[in-house]
Amino acid sequence: MKVMTLAAVAALAAVSFTAQAHGPTRQKVSETIEINAPADKVWAAVGNFQDASWIPVVEKTEGKGGNEAKATRVLTLKGGATVEEELGKYDAEKKSLMYRITKVDIKTLPVNDYSSTIEVAGDGAKTKVTWRGAFYRGYMNNDPPADLNDEASKKAVLGLYKASLENLKAKVEKGS
Amino acid sequence: MSLPRPALAAFAALIALAPAALAAEAIVTVQGSNAVEVVDLDASRVVATIPVPGSPAGVALSPDRATAYVTRPDGPGLAVIDLAARRVTGLVPLPGGPLGIAVNPVSGAVYAADWYAARVFVLVTKDGALTLDGEIATGASPSGIAVTPDGATMLVANREDDSVSVVDAKTRRESARLKVGHHPFGITLDATGSRAYTANVTGNDVSVIDVAARREIGRVKTGDRPYVVALAGGRGFVTDQYGNTVTVFDLATLAPVATIDVGDHPEGIAASSDGKRLYVANWGSNTLSVIDAATLAVIKDIAVGDGPRAFGDFLR
Repeated sequence: MKVMTLAAVAALAAVSFTAQAHGPTRQKVSETIEINAPADKVWAAVGNFQDASWIPVVEKTEGKGGNEAKATRVLTLKGGATVEEELGKYDAEKKSLMYRITKVDIKTLPVNDYSSTIEVAGDGAKTKVTWRGAFYRGYMNNDPPADLNDEASKKAVLGLYKASLENLKAKVEKGS
Repeated sequence: MSLPRPALAAFAALIALAPAALAAEAIVTVQGSNAVEVVDLDASRVVATIPVPGSPAGVALSPDRATAYVTRPDGPGLAVIDLAARRVTGLVPLPGGPLGIAVNPVSGAVYAADWYAARVFVLVTKDGALTLDGEIATGASPSGIAVTPDGATMLVANREDDSVSVVDAKTRRESARLKVGHHPFGITLDATGSRAYTANVTGNDVSVIDVAARREIGRVKTGDRPYVVALAGGRGFVTDQYGNTVTVFDLATLAPVATIDVGDHPEGIAASSDGKRLYVANWGSNTLSVIDAATLAVIKDIAVGDGPRAFGDFLR
């Protein structure tokens, strides 16, 4: 990764200052996959907030607070970008967790105010994993550029969900 | 709390104006479906789906409850809906990002807040058509709007300014600006117009405002990311968007009473006119939760279209 120029740092600071406001229309996406493995085994792979290695683009997970509400983690992605996240709700019994992104560059993921929920529902030897996301588009004002509009934001998040859930399925089924 | 005489008079006037025996309905903006739905609250089902382009979000009703005004932030503009005919009778273009909306209960003027700016549009009906008639300067990112029952005073929650603008409805000028908590979004007045409550989104609390004294007099902790407050039976009910809960507090003591689990991303909430039920639009789960105001139990979930928001005065 290149060393950031002063101008880039200033630009970033300006962006995070205005990042308080967001578009008026919150978007939602949902993706589900069926995995041929019992729920406990799937939960073991996705249910640890401190290990996001099932998401293919993640190179490293560093965090604190374990799986307690308010736990935090920093994901370092392949290529060097980082995403900071905070655990909102964690329910091991229901096999469900909700977290939000507290800091991300819109060049990495074009979203604002992003929260997501992962739910694992078992049915014997099969398990359904559902990943839902709620967020505002990358561009905070009217007339967004094409790469930061509602459609672009949804496409980016759905792409991440699909690739990650397919990776999770392959990983868990291979290990069974 | 003893009421000042003008407030009492206003309250009496409000009761006299209350419409007689309408079928109880919720007028729900379903943003993802680009529609407004009419929910029959006795039958607990959607009885009409009215297509409205532009991601409808905010909703307010005319003083006679026969017309709904809906904001369309992606229009951008407003839609006017004839609730008896169940159809759109007008689409009014507006600049910016109209989101919060309210109607003056006396004059019938429509107020729409521009989320991207620091102004509230004023619209009046001229020759049968809703027409832009001016704007009022407010703080940054005005969101929720509430009007006192006598129609004289508007309160506007300024999300990016952590403040509430007090506006004289006649002169259309801000007469005071009150500091409240962080990022106030929804604002709700009680039936007498003497107290107001803002849901402070990033502060995770509610500011309680003494309207006559023009100041904040209390703060109530809520769940995560409160959206708006409804009032019933001496209690406040706050939707917590990230908590998937409704926080209940006592209006007299401001002490917490309970936390009720509702659907995913609850947004708009309103109390029935008899104060016995609360209705919550769950944006994430596409349902309208019905809460018993006495037992605080969720007694029903009514399926609605995609992304219900119902930000505003949505019951009749």
